[in-house]
Order: sequence, then structure tokens, then C-alpha cells
Amino acid sequence: MQSQHKPGLRPARYGRKWLRMLAPLGTILFIIALWQVIASLELISPILLPAPAAVASALAKALADGSLLKHAATTLEEMLVGLCIGVGFGLTLGYVIAKAPLLENLLSPLIVAFQSTPIVAYAPLLVIWFGTGVTGKIVTTAIIVFFPTLVNTIAGIRGLDPSLADLFRSLRASRWQTFWQLELPAALPVILAGLKTSSTLAVIGAVVGEFVSARYGLGALVMAARSRYDTPLVIVSALTMTTFALALYSLVAYIEWRVLAWRRRSTT
Amino acid sequence: MFKLLAIVIIGLLLVSSGVVAQDQPLDEQILLTFVPNVQFAPFYVGIEAGYFAEAGFAVSLDHLQEPEVLDLVAVGQANYGVVSGEQVILARSQNRDVVYVFEWFQQYPVGLVYDRALDLSDLGDLRDKTIGIPGRFGASYSGLTALLHDANLTETDIEVSEIGFNAPEVFCLGLVDAAVVYINNEPLQIQQLADAGDCGAVQAVATTSVASQVDLVSNGLIISRALLDDDPAAVQRMVGAYAKALRATIDNPAAAYLASLAHVESLPREQSFLDMLEAAAEAQSDFLSELPSRAEVADSRAELASQLQSRFGSGSLAQFTILLNTIELWDADQLGSSDLASWQAMHATLQRMGFLGEAPVELSDAFSNQFVVAAE
Repeated sequence: MQSQHKPGLRPARYGRKWLRMLAPLGTILFIIALWQVIASLELISPILLPAPAAVASALAKALADGSLLKHAATTLEEMLVGLCIGVGFGLTLGYVIAKAPLLENLLSPLIVAFQSTPIVAYAPLLVIWFGTGVTGKIVTTAIIVFFPTLVNTIAGIRGLDPSLADLFRSLRASRWQTFWQLELPAALPVILAGLKTSSTLAVIGAVVGEFVSARYGLGALVMAARSRYDTPLVIVSALTMTTFALALYSLVAYIEWRVLAWRRRSTT
Repeated sequence: MFKLLAIVIIGLLLVSSGVVAQDQPLDEQILLTFVPNVQFAPFYVGIEAGYFAEAGFAVSLDHLQEPEVLDLVAVGQANYGVVSGEQVILARSQNRDVVYVFEWFQQYPVGLVYDRALDLSDLGDLRDKTIGIPGRFGASYSGLTALLHDANLTETDIEVSEIGFNAPEVFCLGLVDAAVVYINNEPLQIQQLADAGDCGAVQAVATTSVASQVDLVSNGLIISRALLDDDPAAVQRMVGAYAKALRATIDNPAAAYLASLAHVESLPREQSFLDMLEAAAEAQSDFLSELPSRAEVADSRAELASQLQSRFGSGSLAQFTILLNTIELWDADQLGSSDLASWQAMHATLQRMGFLGEAPVELSDAFSNQFVVAAE
């Protein structure tokens, strides 16, 4: 029976799949078209909102002279290094806190207080503490991605089914076996959800640091472009940041899809 | 008959509403940069002493970044803004039709601060030194470029470090040899840190101002070309009111400080200090009624500073001292007037920085002294 249904269902199913894949592109094209209409009719002054063509021209120029790549590479470096450090600390401390509630009592006031302060408030201090190079921006990024990773790691580890933990204990599983075969797989969905949040925050962390002081980086490019009244280049920089955030998010989503394949199989 | 009566009544109503409208002050927003600060005292004096109200304006103040100030004025979302001169040239090169109508700072407020022991008074000695600037934009970068050019140096001869707006801390940590700062403000902060022993080995700081080397057009009042064409009378009244407020601030800084209290929350307001300022403001008013010369007024400011220093510590006095330092950058025989040479010098500086395209910027369109001359 199944084989009889397949030929009839496939075209519709594929059609829907393609439609879903193209839907975001359609939204983007619609926004660009709307933007072009607004610009053409001069509903908003081009000083405030330049036309898509002007932005495209600024993009081509920034790519041709290499400035966009140079600034984007700096931001990407700060993002990735900061993300690795922040996520590394968040995972480690999150696991330790999940296993030691007393530690949570000791550290939570500090962690919550630090996290609830907007990063722009202490970004200038990081320049003084870590200098004007990339270190301060990496630290800013690490701080901003740390908290979601930490919270989700704690939630993931603590959300473990107690009966499964009892089972591993009764089987006399070692600590490593319990971690590798039970805790990590069970906590991964929550941890990866936190990592998706962290990946988008990484861009904010790097750029906030660059806004305070930087020679290179997309934040520095925005400041420079703004000071020269080059609004199209400001938009190019902002779109590049968005692209980075989307790319990182998609990468984590892909990893999640691959790593959690067993979960989909087990639920179908 | 009724028709005629109705027309007469409507006419009377329209006329009376016009009279009321004329009597009502016109709401005007002036866009400033930075944050509320005693350095904006002339605007506070304009409001508190009623100069703007006399000219028919109910003025409110807002603070934004310079590019935002300029763009909002350019598109007519605000009629008046205050930016530095180089912003006007840069913006005009990007099709923002704004006009600079009143030069507020007669001297460019930027300069180098350094350890006096290092002695960088000969700018050629900057070679191979690390110089801190907020970033490669704005008045500080323009000032540094002008200083380097004056010393026959280029950026490649020094190490430029982008330090954000953290010059006192970064300088005192020894991360830079010198920093580009607003000379009316930050050198004072650094000296206070040095006096407290919190500035490394630095005992005393020295400054070299850009204005001592080259005359660059500085901060001033801007309007849009459209406003200049549509309502020059209103611009004239605003410029006139601001000129009076600025002169009043220069002549009586104690009164200006007291007017600033309503606008700047962070100003020290120790009662004994305020009492002395009130007495000084009153005495200065009497002195001004004798029509003293500009030099005599300057002497009176120095005397007041000396009296205050003998009674109050730096914590109470810092902001008032910043006001006095800033007044030195504003004061001139004729306030508000800018000359073509200072615009040309700034234009050349921006070209050296590579900030201007190939299309020429017509500098004579960038500023106008017509309202200043008429206000005198």
C-alpha cells in the first residue's frame, strides 16, 4: 500500500518542501522590493534611508577595496574565539553547578548580577582592563555568550530522568560512562538550544566592544561610516553582522539536526 | 445680514487666534552632542535667563551623536543643532544641505595631553610615540591630523591607539604616551588623578592645543538651507538670543553655573559653594553695569577662580573650573563669526585624512555670518 501512495504524494510533498525552503527568500525579496518602492517614491529622505541600489553600490565598493573583508574578518575572529571561551566556561561551570547545588547558591548572586547589567555599561571598563586590542572584544563576547550556555547546561543536566540515573547506578556505570552515555545525550537538546541563543549574541558582544574602541571590525566600520555620513556603508556593515549571526545560528541548528538525529529516529 | 455677521465673526476669530499664536512662544528643539554638561551652559542660560523666550522660543534640549544631530537638522526634523565644523563639511560632501550660522567655539577645543616630564612641546618629538584617540573619527582625529601635519609628520610616524572616551584612565595606566583630548576638560581630570597619586609616575600634565598651531573651524550652530530660505527672521531671532546667552555666560560664569544646576544633575551643589556663587553672580552683575572691557571681565573671572580655590577643594570646583576653561575657548570680541580660512584649513585636514571624495565642497555655501553681523 505504501508504495502505491508514494508516487502520488511525492510531487506535493516536494513542492511543499521547496516552498518552505524558498519562503525566507521570498520574505527578503519582498522587503527589498518594498524598500525600493519607498526609496523611489522618496517617502523617506534618502539621507535617512538610502535606496537598495545605493547600498548595493556601497557593498560592491567595500568588497572591491577589501575594507569589508578586513573588518569582517576581525569581527569574525573576535566572535568565534569569544564564543568558544564563553561556551567552554558556560558548559563547564554549568555542569559543575548542576552537580553541586551549594555552588549554585554561592555563585548565583554574582552570575545573575553580572548578567543583568547591560554589557554596554561595562564595555568601556573592559578597554581599560584588557587594552584596546581584540582581547577586550573577545572578553565582551565571552561574557555575553556565557550566561545562556550556563543556564541551559544546568537545566539540561538537572532535567535528566531520575529513573535513568538510578539505572546507570544499578549497572555500576563509571562517572565517565554516566556522563558520556546518559547525561550528555539527555542534556544536548537543551544545551544546543542555549548555544543557538549564544551564537546570535556573539555578534552583539564583539560589536559592542568595537563601538567603544577599535580600529578594525564591523563596529568600527559603522562608526567610521557614520562619521562620514556614508549611510549605505552603515547598512552594509549592519547586514554583514546579520549575515554572521544567521550563519552561526544556522551552523548550530545544522549541528543540532545532525547530533540529535537519533532522537528523531527514536520518536518516529 | 447673518452671512455678513458670520464672516465678520470668523474674521475676528482668525485675527485673534493669529495674535494669540504670535504671543505663544514657538517650540524649538536644539540638538546637542555628548550629555548634559556644564560646557553647554550658554544654552541653559538662554533658557533660564529668558533670552530664548524673549526671542519667541520655548527651547528644549536633546543630546545625540553628531551625525544624528546633523541628519535630523538636514531633513528638517529639528531646526537647530550644534556640531563641530568638520561635520558640516563631511555632511555637505554627502548631500546634506546644512548651513553653519554661528561659531560657538572660537578656538578648536582639542589638543594633546602628556606628562610634563616627557616634554612634547616640540611636536616633532611625537615621532614613534603612542598617541591615544577616541577613534579614527570626529574632532579628535581631525585635530591629531592637523597637529601631525603641522609637525611634518604623518600617522605612520606614530603609533595610534583607539582608546574610546577613556583618556584619563588609559593615560594614567601608561598605555599611551599622550592622548588627544578636549583641553578644557580631560587634562583637568588627569591632573586631579596625578595630584591624588593615581596617575602612575605622572606629577604634572602639559597640553598642546590644536588652536595654538592652526585655526580650524570649530563647534557651532547649524540649520538647514530650507529653514534659512523659508524663515530667516526666526533664525535671526535664535542667533541673536544665543549670542546674548553666550555673552552672558562669558561675562558672569557664576550665574551661568547656577543656571546650569537645573539641567545638569551631576553638578556639585554644596550649599556653601552655591552661596558664594550667588554672591559672586550678584557682584558681577554690578560690575558689568560699569561696562568693563573684555580684558577686565577676563580678570574678574580669574579673580573669582582664585577666591574659590582658596575656599573649596577640587571636588567642588572641578565643574566650575571646566566652565572657566571652556569660556576661554568661546571668548572673542565678536562672537559667532567664522572665517573662510578656518574652513579651508579644516577642509584641507579632512582631505589629508582621506575623508572627502573627489567632488569639491563649496565652502562658501557651508557657513553664513549674515545673522551674526545683524545680531551685533
